[in-house]
Amino acid sequence: MKIFSIVSLLALTATLAHAAPDRVVTVKTTVNGMVCSLCAQGILAHFKKHPAISNVHIDFTRKLVLLEERKGKSITDEEINEYIKKSGFELVKVERVKESFDQVKAG
Amino acid sequence: MKIIPFSILLAATVATAAAHPVAFEGAYQLMLGTAGSVQNFEFYHSYSSKAAWGLHAMRFDGDEDEIFTGVQHNWLLKRWNLPSSQANVYAGLGAGLAGEVGNGASPAGVGFFRADYETRRVYTAFDAKWVESADVSRGVFSAAAGIAPYEAEFDQLNTWLILQVEHVTGMEDKLDIIPKVRFFKGPYFLELGSTLTGKLVVNFMIHF
Repeated sequence: MKIFSIVSLLALTATLAHAAPDRVVTVKTTVNGMVCSLCAQGILAHFKKHPAISNVHIDFTRKLVLLEERKGKSITDEEINEYIKKSGFELVKVERVKESFDQVKAG
Repeated sequence: MKIIPFSILLAATVATAAAHPVAFEGAYQLMLGTAGSVQNFEFYHSYSSKAAWGLHAMRFDGDEDEIFTGVQHNWLLKRWNLPSSQANVYAGLGAGLAGEVGNGASPAGVGFFRADYETRRVYTAFDAKWVESADVSRGVFSAAAGIAPYEAEFDQLNTWLILQVEHVTGMEDKLDIIPKVRFFKGPYFLELGSTLTGKLVVNFMIHF
């Protein structure tokens, strides 16, 4: 019974961890190779099409692609990696932060 | 002949060097321009981030103007994405028709090689392009280096000051030296310059 409870708790925790949070999440994506705005147009074009993304900002100085997820929706790390690759760049790191999109954008 | 529509297009426009033979997956890129004695028209679809195919036309102004029109496939052979720079090696092969204007055309092949390195302040590139047919044999070789007077962000106007040297085999001028200024913002790219002998250089590109 105790084992069953632990397994159930772990399963619930895993489910909650993968579920889209019921709040707006800001995703900080660090990308290598972004030096030319003409070349980086693909990043904007790909992420704008994703239904979970409401806002995209590209910051060359901080090497960041900043994403704002819609409330209750999310984009996976695998999708982010795929979109960065399709755009011709290299993903370094994905972080989900508590600060708002505008706060992170402002630096 | 199939080359007639392209002849009209090239006569009406001025075309450019292939700065972006491959763009992002799903992109279409149109490149038009003129540099010295060579005019260029290219329209490609990047079906992946490493390959594109499309139409390519070139006109060489000389005693007898020559035109190539054909289809071409481009490959991004290698890309180095570094934290503050990017370097690329491209190549392409194509086939079509080439000939002297008004004298018909014969089957032709085209090929190119390009290597570039870029940071937000420094730009260097080397291009080599060949066209071969029974009547036309041309090579276009160019090297360019440039600096950006400021580090532009993604949504700002990018400005570059570039010095390019270009040699076209079979032309009177051994070497064209081309100072030019490059602007791009969003998906639009424009280059303006002149050879030291006063020939206009205009290059335009758009990604969509």
